[in-house]
Amino acid sequence: MIRPATIVLVAAAAIAVVAPFFLKPFGIYLISMWAVLTVAAIGLNLTIGYAGQVSLAQGAFVGIGAYTVALMTQAGWPYPLAFVAAGALCFAVGWILGYPALRVQHHYLAFVTLAFTSLVFLVLRNEEWLTGGTHGINGIARPVFFGWSTGKPLDFYFFSVGTLTVLSGAMWRMLRSPWGRAFVALRENPVRALSLGVDTRRYTLMAFAIGSSLGGLAGALYAPLVQFIEPGSFALGLSFNLLLMVIVGGSGYFFGPFVGALVAVLLPEWTRIAQGYYLLIYAALVMLMMAVCPSGLLGLAARAAKALARRQLPALRAEGAGR
Amino acid sequence: MTAVLEVANLRKSFGGIAAVDDVSFEVREGEILGIIGPNGSGKSTLFNCILGQLTPSSGEVRVDGKPTTGLRPCNLNRLGVSRTFQLLQVFPRLSVRDNLVLAGQEHQGSMTSRLFGRADAGLGRVADRMIDFFRLSHLAGEEAGALSYGQQKLLDAAMAFMAGPRLVLLDEPAGGVNLTMLGHLRERLEAYHAERNATFVVIEHQMEFVMALCTRVLVLAEGRIIAQGAPHEVRRDPAVIEAYLGH
Repeated sequence: MIRPATIVLVAAAAIAVVAPFFLKPFGIYLISMWAVLTVAAIGLNLTIGYAGQVSLAQGAFVGIGAYTVALMTQAGWPYPLAFVAAGALCFAVGWILGYPALRVQHHYLAFVTLAFTSLVFLVLRNEEWLTGGTHGINGIARPVFFGWSTGKPLDFYFFSVGTLTVLSGAMWRMLRSPWGRAFVALRENPVRALSLGVDTRRYTLMAFAIGSSLGGLAGALYAPLVQFIEPGSFALGLSFNLLLMVIVGGSGYFFGPFVGALVAVLLPEWTRIAQGYYLLIYAALVMLMMAVCPSGLLGLAARAAKALARRQLPALRAEGAGR
Repeated sequence: MTAVLEVANLRKSFGGIAAVDDVSFEVREGEILGIIGPNGSGKSTLFNCILGQLTPSSGEVRVDGKPTTGLRPCNLNRLGVSRTFQLLQVFPRLSVRDNLVLAGQEHQGSMTSRLFGRADAGLGRVADRMIDFFRLSHLAGEEAGALSYGQQKLLDAAMAFMAGPRLVLLDEPAGGVNLTMLGHLRERLEAYHAERNATFVVIEHQMEFVMALCTRVLVLAEGRIIAQGAPHEVRRDPAVIEAYLGH
């Protein structure tokens, strides 16, 4: 028997492939943005959802990645090299940012990472010689791979979704290795994990480094998608938004970030008719959901599936008895 | 016989109070040593100093002759020292089987080989054997948080044995467990001990449990050892009776 989750997954993948052919350029831009933000949210979901380390710095890593790619490609480096450099740089910086997490947890850690986001914003804004300051960087080119140009929206969408597929596949594999179990152990009970030989220090740093590196890779997609970057895009707002995606989708669920990013990208567009009120509506919906189901939309789905199975079970039993 | 664990002149003070005051003892291979004493006598502090959770103020701890004072708990564990906790410490959202695999996986290969290797780190069969041994087979796929208190205690003990440790420190294994489950736990501990000639150190309040399980008992009061010997001797020792009923 095929599991319902598999059917949903296959259907979603089919929609992701077919949908852009029916969308206008702005629609394609939006779903490309979804793919890019999902990459960053998957990284944050590792740090927060699996390893249990609060971070309000993911937006800053998207910024570091975006600026790395913009500066390197404009200096004449090939895009693939800049892409790898963005991931590697964020891995290293994320590793260093992990050190405070070895000393403080929860809201204290949230403050440390929040300060880091402000710091990155200030560097991007003030170091004009490097980043162009508030003017940002204009005219970032979209990459060309072996003669395939991603200049058109449709091509860039498939490049983004392809990257998302590869990266989420790698994440899936890692979470199913002993590392995934160790990350969850770190979240659930670090003291016990330590007594079982789990080097919690190293796994904490890894959770930060890998999560941040995915933020950087998202930035490496963001820069050529938007083709214009400025410091304000990577201020605290983006970090909060990414955190919201992880929580709304379902923190600690593998597909939570996919769902959360979809909500975060589409909801503002759908509630646009309400004009200035759309943020208000979004906020109200988030508060409602946190009150009803803190485990996010996928948590809600899991609960519904369980309730459904419970209702079907007695029915099946009754059927069996009747025979 | 060689000493698996040596504790020499161990002292731990908090402020002006010495919770553990110049304690020395040895545990030989295959022994089951019980440590008893009234509340606040320093049992848990002693345990935490041995296990690297607390840094002793002075003194030394050696495992197989090797000084381990100041070693981090994860490194100590990889030397073959494992423990259970007084309060329940399982991973509630992991399955029973995953709890056990986790308890052994960090002893397999390197960080890199674990990333690219098999999901169960090659421990699937060992975990299943341990599940059978502690008679948890019908619960193997359940989340550990869904188990009863006594079943979680069994799982907790099973996790401590998963990596085939040389020395296991059990912190109040009988606490809060009903009598049926307690008999079962004791019988499993004895069976494991007989099978592997493992060395145990047990902190316990439940006298019957200690007297039945342990080969030697050490009595702590106010951070010092006031008596030690075979269980039946210790029980009659006037100093022990004084410490328990005293003042």
